[in-house]
Amino acid sequence: MSVLEVTRLFKRYHGLTAVDGFSMAVEAGRIVAVAGPDGAGKTSLFRAACGLIDFDSGDVTVGGISVKTGMGRIKPLMGYMPQSFSLYPDLSVEENLRFYAGLFGVSGDVFASRRERLYRFSGLEPFVKRRAGNLSGGMKQKLALSCALIHQPSVLILDEPTTGVDPLSRQQFWDILMSLRRDGAAVIVATPYMDEVALADRVVFMHAGKKLAEGTPDELRRLYSGGIYRLALEPTAERMALLSGIEGVAPYRFGADVHIYVPPDMSGGELAARLADSGFGDAPVERIEAGLEDVFIQLMSGQ
Amino acid sequence: MRHMWTVLALVTKEFRQVFRDRNMLRLIFLMPFLQLVILGYAVDTDVRRIHTAVYDFDRSRLSREFVRSMSAGDYFLMSTSDRSVLDLDENFQTNRFNAALVIPRDFGRNLENGNLAPASLIVDGSNANSAGIAMGYAGMIAAQFNRQAAGLAPSISIRQKLLYNSEAESVYYMVPGIVAVLLTMITVMLTSMAIVREREMGTLEQVMVTPISTPAFILGKTIPFAVLGFVEMSLALAVGILWFGIPFAGSWPLLYGLSLVYLFTTLGMGIFVSTITSTQQQAMFFAWFFIIFAIMTSGFFAPIENMPPVVQHMTYANPLRFFMRIVRGIMMKGAGVNTLYRDIAAMVLYSAAIFSLALMRFSKRHR
Repeated sequence: MSVLEVTRLFKRYHGLTAVDGFSMAVEAGRIVAVAGPDGAGKTSLFRAACGLIDFDSGDVTVGGISVKTGMGRIKPLMGYMPQSFSLYPDLSVEENLRFYAGLFGVSGDVFASRRERLYRFSGLEPFVKRRAGNLSGGMKQKLALSCALIHQPSVLILDEPTTGVDPLSRQQFWDILMSLRRDGAAVIVATPYMDEVALADRVVFMHAGKKLAEGTPDELRRLYSGGIYRLALEPTAERMALLSGIEGVAPYRFGADVHIYVPPDMSGGELAARLADSGFGDAPVERIEAGLEDVFIQLMSGQ
Repeated sequence: MRHMWTVLALVTKEFRQVFRDRNMLRLIFLMPFLQLVILGYAVDTDVRRIHTAVYDFDRSRLSREFVRSMSAGDYFLMSTSDRSVLDLDENFQTNRFNAALVIPRDFGRNLENGNLAPASLIVDGSNANSAGIAMGYAGMIAAQFNRQAAGLAPSISIRQKLLYNSEAESVYYMVPGIVAVLLTMITVMLTSMAIVREREMGTLEQVMVTPISTPAFILGKTIPFAVLGFVEMSLALAVGILWFGIPFAGSWPLLYGLSLVYLFTTLGMGIFVSTITSTQQQAMFFAWFFIIFAIMTSGFFAPIENMPPVVQHMTYANPLRFFMRIVRGIMMKGAGVNTLYRDIAAMVLYSAAIFSLALMRFSKRHR
């Protein structure tokens, strides 16, 4: 059963459509990653779901209750972590946690036991007296997550919680999300990192306010049509210009390498021949599996 | 019950933040002392000891007597100029003298013969207020001297008695005013800035996704500053009474009770300012604008009766005007509800209107 349901949601700002008839459903005990470029409408979608902004049409329900009518009953079920750090920098780790516990009416022994658990989870224990403003980026995000979890919400909405956070902290952050999933929470997380997207149970690709594709990471990878070859050469401007001259393929920079998209009807041998014609005869080239990012790029460019 | 806990959580957090910001704290608690000392001592509107240069070209017995009678009170400090020329510009520009008494030749003889005996008092008019007062003193002294010189029994004599502030000390008048101004400044500024800071930092959004109700949020956000306002006010009163020795004629509970009513005006104003601004700087400027307007038209410095009729009408749009009269009335005259009811009624109306307007605007912006 879906805990959170978004149905044909529309949100416009001054004639600009941020969310364009978007629908999705999230089940309990699942992590759903929402991926898309900046301006795809992720933040608007999340804010509408949290009742922070009005929307033009459609609906969002949490536990079967519409945010339009039952926000008061929904709020205790929801945890939200906005994109920018929004705790009190002049208050300590403990004081921030205690404050949000107070707002949710969590006090006494219940608070004490949850606090211990969250500290253990997040590794914040040694920093309880430190002011939030003096924490490292990763610690800040883990504190913000702890504050959003103090009332044990059944739906957790996280807007790019790991952006700009070091890899180790990102790993720890996802460990926490995994244990929340085991506890039966529904987690919706926006992230720009495809390695994180691959960890989710379901993935929603979002672009220009619309849903581009949805499925498990494996399902989405299979959506890729054609093949990808990796050319282990530094993508210098000259090389890219030469490669772009080859007919029927599409080279693009991918990290320190070049990826070449090859349409489904072209064989590997044909590509090798064409590469050789352009002077890349002895270049190291291998066929690779399409990653989620490749899928996303293909879907976005409509190839 | 649950709402009470959320309010308590907010109030605790707010106090923590106030007491953690050392600079702000210093400002909050030094302000009443600084304002009282500066306004209590420096802005002494009493005009006394006017340094006056005497140019006596007559040098007769009567002219000397006239000079003596001028210096008899506490008003003029007479010093005879050794120069025979009028060097007023130099004297006035260097502020050595602020007035000059010129007694022409034949002053004594004219007086003895019953003729008109003109003498001039030239006053530095750059401070129009004290110049006017000096002229008034001089006129009174001259009239009295006339009667004595003519040997006439005074026909009408006015005996003056000041009620309530018998020493005509301006500090007695200033301190109640400062109390009202401090309460206004602290509450409008701190409330608006505390709410806008939450918006600026993004914490307001984080708080709004919790089940806190709007009234609980407003209460949690205003109670700390109401408390601080009362502390400020009490500090100012303590300094005024213990240091300046100002009398307190009226009822303490009435003063604090009506101050609480007035707080709904200023806290409401603070909330209102926070709804029309999005940064602390903007909030600061808006609050400042309201406060300046409120102080200027409250009768704090200049009596409202001295203002042009149009401006006098404008002062009715200023809630501080009514509170100022209430504080002064209670403290100086021992006034009670039976005499202050008009001001109280106006203040209650303003408080109710401004606070509800602020709440409406706030609720509209944050559901």
